[in-house]
Amino acid sequence: MNIERIKNELAQAWTVAVKDVRVYYLRPGMIMFGFLMPFFMFFSFSVRRELGAAEGLARLLAMTVFFTAGAAGPFIIPTERRIGTYDRLLAAPMALLTLLLGKTLVGAFFAIAVSGVALLAGLLFFHSTIIQPGLLVAGIILGAFSFSTLGLAFGSMPTTNPGDVQMPSTLLRWGLLFISGVFIPLNEMSPIARSIAYISPLTYAQDIMSHAVMGKGLINPWLDLTILLASGILFLWPSIKLHQRARVLGR
Amino acid sequence: MNNAIEVENLTKYYPTARSEQGVLAVDHINFMVKQGEIFGFLGPNGAGKTTTQRMLTTLLTPTEGRILINGHDLARDSYPAKRQIGLVPEESNVYTELTAWDNLMFTASLYRVPRHEREKRAQELLETFGLYEKRNEKAENFSKGMRRRLSIAMAIIHKPSLLFLDEPTPGLDAQSIHAIWELIRRMNSEGTTIFMTTHQIEEANQLCERVAIISHGKIAAIDTPEKLKANFRRVQSVEVAFDNPLPEKIQGLTSLPGVTVQVKVGDKIRLYTEDPSMLLPQIVHYAEVNEMRIVSLNTLGPSLEDVFLEITGKQVGIVTNESLEKKPTRRGMKGGRQ
Repeated sequence: MNIERIKNELAQAWTVAVKDVRVYYLRPGMIMFGFLMPFFMFFSFSVRRELGAAEGLARLLAMTVFFTAGAAGPFIIPTERRIGTYDRLLAAPMALLTLLLGKTLVGAFFAIAVSGVALLAGLLFFHSTIIQPGLLVAGIILGAFSFSTLGLAFGSMPTTNPGDVQMPSTLLRWGLLFISGVFIPLNEMSPIARSIAYISPLTYAQDIMSHAVMGKGLINPWLDLTILLASGILFLWPSIKLHQRARVLGR
Repeated sequence: MNNAIEVENLTKYYPTARSEQGVLAVDHINFMVKQGEIFGFLGPNGAGKTTTQRMLTTLLTPTEGRILINGHDLARDSYPAKRQIGLVPEESNVYTELTAWDNLMFTASLYRVPRHEREKRAQELLETFGLYEKRNEKAENFSKGMRRRLSIAMAIIHKPSLLFLDEPTPGLDAQSIHAIWELIRRMNSEGTTIFMTTHQIEEANQLCERVAIISHGKIAAIDTPEKLKANFRRVQSVEVAFDNPLPEKIQGLTSLPGVTVQVKVGDKIRLYTEDPSMLLPQIVHYAEVNEMRIVSLNTLGPSLEDVFLEITGKQVGIVTNESLEKKPTRRGMKGGRQ
């Protein structure tokens, strides 16, 4: 692939992302699953618990990035398959990876924007401070990338009904919430539970937020960032396979 | 000169829950489309038209076979082929949340049309399709015909050398249909190869230089419309209209010697026969005897629709001499012949 082609592919990914931002960000499905849910989840699990401002903000940021980034794929791709607009993208002269990159950006941008709202709320209402802003930015960006590709893997399932995808996707995300040190800190978990927590990418997102906001975490922050990046790349693989399968099935 | 499309042994099985091999939709078909041709792909619902077109546009992976688009093998490197293809699917897949202008800008950007040309081409296309005044309106406010036109404009903004149209006009008003036909002719005259699937026979008859008829996943016939018709001389007919058609007397026409099938076509009666010249005087005599006044009387060669119905296994007409004894003769059939 030559430089010109790479430039074209990147521009096409950007075009897809910008179009999706304009078309889907204000859709009820995106607002419900991407914007409102993390706040509802946060408040329902935080009420009547004695949380410090910094700890609360770290938790809110991790949940926001996690839920919001993963909301786009399961909603947008089945919707586009149903109304036929996805064919336009699949038939366009670009690699499948380019299309997936564009779709990943949609979720990631959404997560970054909503995290900004959460951060602002935390700073204004909890009077928190950010100890390591650079780490926070890196954590939000890589977390948004990782969880967006996770959502994309669900969205790539060959179906035309968003509900078929959103249900299992939401179920998995809820499950991950409970094993990833968001509600029960890693250092309070049993060794078995902690070893399970290390499987979940959310654990590393929560840890990096703790580093950034509170200045302490259990895992090396560079390892957190590396795993978020690696898991984001890894989650693209099932998306590619599911797209190939959809082309065989004709869906 | 390369062929625009070459298809060899193309086969598609849709996997099912019961077996991976699944249901056969397209069965080892072979055909080619010359550059600059308008090629019609006809078939009844479920015959394999759309499946074939989806394989030709990379949306579906063939089970077996080879596809070359302008000489590029789709299985090996689809990128150069995709750059030369425009696709208009059966459903007008426009983004209803975007304006007509933004829909075109998005597609132009997706196909990497140079930035300075995008706006010029979008303006030209919107003017051609009569949508320029509505360019800043969201497509959700557009009628079906307007969305169809926008969908076609989006498919050709990058000036493809090969345009795929899947059922381009069903459900549209006559004005929109003729506007789209005119556009197809004009694009073709400017060098674009057109591959269109349709089950509207008259559309294929009006537009296509060659047609393939697919039935049960196999190509049953492929030729020019006129040559196909010439091979089906046995489905000639005489069409007659009376000013005072009494049903019982109309039924009696079926008993005239040489009539194989009788069909009501609007206010006319179409009588299929192998020898129209023998049937004509008999109809005139029958009308005289039964005191019926003939308004019009025409002999007709086989239409493409007749050929289509013969090939796809459906009998021309509905009522035969034999069935007339058991059923009433009134049964509609769309007209549309040349």
